[in-house]
Amino acid sequence: MQTTALAGAAAAIGQTGSLPKRPLGKTGLDVSILGVGGYHLGTADSDDTAARIVDEAIDNGINFFDNAWEYHEGLSEERMGKALAGKRDKVVLMTKVCTHGRDAGTAMQQLEQSLVRLRTDHLDVWQIHEVVYDDDPDKIFRPEGAIEALARAKQQGKVRFVGFTGHKDPDIHLKMLSHNYAFDTIQMPLNILDSTYARSFHHLVLPEAQKQGIAVLGMKSLGGSGEPVMKGAYTAEEGLRYAMSIPGVAVTISGMESLDVLHQNLAVARGFDPLPVKQLSDLAERCRQFASDGRYELFKTTKKYDGDLGRQQHGFPTAEELPA
Amino acid sequence: MPSGEIITRQLGRTDIHVSALTLGGHHLGNTKSEQESLRIVDEALDGGITSFDNCWEYHLGATEIIVGKALKGKRDRAIVMSKVCTHGRDKDLAMQMLEQSLKRLQTDHLDIWQIHGVTFYNDPDLFIRPNGAAEALTLAKKQGKVRAVGFTGHKDPRIHMAMLNTKFPFDTCQFPLNPLDSGFRSFEQTVLPECNRRGIAVLGMKPMGGTGDMITKGVVTAEECLRYAMSLPVATTVAGVDKLEVLHQNLAVAQSFKKMEPGEMQSLRDRVKEYSGDGRFELYKTSIKYDNPEARLAHGFPLDAKSVEVQEMISATKNDGHSFKTMPPPPK
Repeated sequence: MQTTALAGAAAAIGQTGSLPKRPLGKTGLDVSILGVGGYHLGTADSDDTAARIVDEAIDNGINFFDNAWEYHEGLSEERMGKALAGKRDKVVLMTKVCTHGRDAGTAMQQLEQSLVRLRTDHLDVWQIHEVVYDDDPDKIFRPEGAIEALARAKQQGKVRFVGFTGHKDPDIHLKMLSHNYAFDTIQMPLNILDSTYARSFHHLVLPEAQKQGIAVLGMKSLGGSGEPVMKGAYTAEEGLRYAMSIPGVAVTISGMESLDVLHQNLAVARGFDPLPVKQLSDLAERCRQFASDGRYELFKTTKKYDGDLGRQQHGFPTAEELPA
Repeated sequence: MPSGEIITRQLGRTDIHVSALTLGGHHLGNTKSEQESLRIVDEALDGGITSFDNCWEYHLGATEIIVGKALKGKRDRAIVMSKVCTHGRDKDLAMQMLEQSLKRLQTDHLDIWQIHGVTFYNDPDLFIRPNGAAEALTLAKKQGKVRAVGFTGHKDPRIHMAMLNTKFPFDTCQFPLNPLDSGFRSFEQTVLPECNRRGIAVLGMKPMGGTGDMITKGVVTAEECLRYAMSLPVATTVAGVDKLEVLHQNLAVAQSFKKMEPGEMQSLRDRVKEYSGDGRFELYKTSIKYDNPEARLAHGFPLDAKSVEVQEMISATKNDGHSFKTMPPPPK
């Protein structure tokens, strides 16, 4: 009887549009399958819009919030901090540290700034941002490198879980994982085109992360700026459904700069049932022709998505000098 | 510049011999005047350079026209190369481009004809597919219009390896070779030994990183770069020249060339290591800045309005909404 009642309750929640949750790896946390990307809160047309996006997201069951120290020079974190005032305990809050090869001391300073901007005394997840240069893993793991800050911050109780992110090349992610460091999370681009591209995070990195028991955070379900959608490779709904259906993904982070986009995403994510594996591979095959040269995954194939701070630390021309 | 000699080497398994230094084609479109470009070719030939690189798409054909003009009456003293720019498109287009290259270069045959800009992961599949550009290489050779065939690219050794693994009988293979390459997605460490093993002649390019950034920023000297690249097991090293004085410097190194000792090469690799690991001086590997508009269009990548070649394209169409049909005039 009890089982039936529970099943009935679950169905009722589905009808009223509850957002499914999944375990965040071995952390003991449960996260909504859809997360709010921090970058786009900085491109929202006003502080007010950003606050309403965060509010409505929470009201509709989203509990995962992404950010980074360097997004819009702190504006994304400030907007999120303001909007989360009084609701901090309802969310799993993540931000990223942007050393780009610099040392643990720099990382700890950035952490303090992130905490102030986000108006909290701790982060749930703290990740090393934008590991996209081939020599980043060596710099991160050197003595006094950023990796030491992760442990220090955890020990000080300022962060609960740690990980890293990047959008460039599976080999760089694998090099990070080869250290067998106890990462709790790992973030990577996961979308329809990635799955059939030669340098696929889905096929090359996700299995290794799962083997190490690391929670997988997916991003760039629509190619970073919606390129595949605008060019007709797949629809926004297909893109999001696919990303959230990949077995092993905890949460799919989506940038939402307007309430419209939030509403569209919620419509897909409410009561979501993952697509069967066969349907996933059919969709990937259908889009293969757009995937094979990386034309709509410009974060892998060009400099377009590599931030100025990382470029500066690595001696690369600025985004203005070298757009792609 | 007094005339001089540069050692020549056999081009892999072919009976062609090339000078150890080759004059790059692209930079001939970046000189101050056509006059200077013509003089560069002239003086190069007198200085012992016998091989001349080029490409169908460089400056919309302008550099092929320059080399054709400069070598008039001297064609038999030179090894003339060019490249075909199908970027995944078919055999027929390749053959049309070949006819245009021959006309611009004022010759009835090319000594080396290579697939240009193999840059994207699906290029090897597109190349070897039925009716792909591979068939044009075979046909052009059979027709006697080209003597040796190969491919070039500057992006990723993995793509070069995939090309080699199509099993097409390439005579030549061109890729970046310089001291910084050895520490970053290195062609030297992977593709070079594989070509050597297969008897495919290697044409090293970008000995100074293409732009010379590694020199102007003080990481290496031009002479070190050139000597390093020429000391590797290659047939020739392609270096672009946009000023007579640069030609003179290169000739001085090449005419008195003595191979670097392995120890000297290793200490150079070690010295530049801190600058090579992230590809900051090899933007052709890490960005699409050096991918020509033809390649980007064929592969659906965005164009860069600031690029010289895109501006040339726009000016060639006279903004009338039609693609250019006739050959544009060479640059001023």
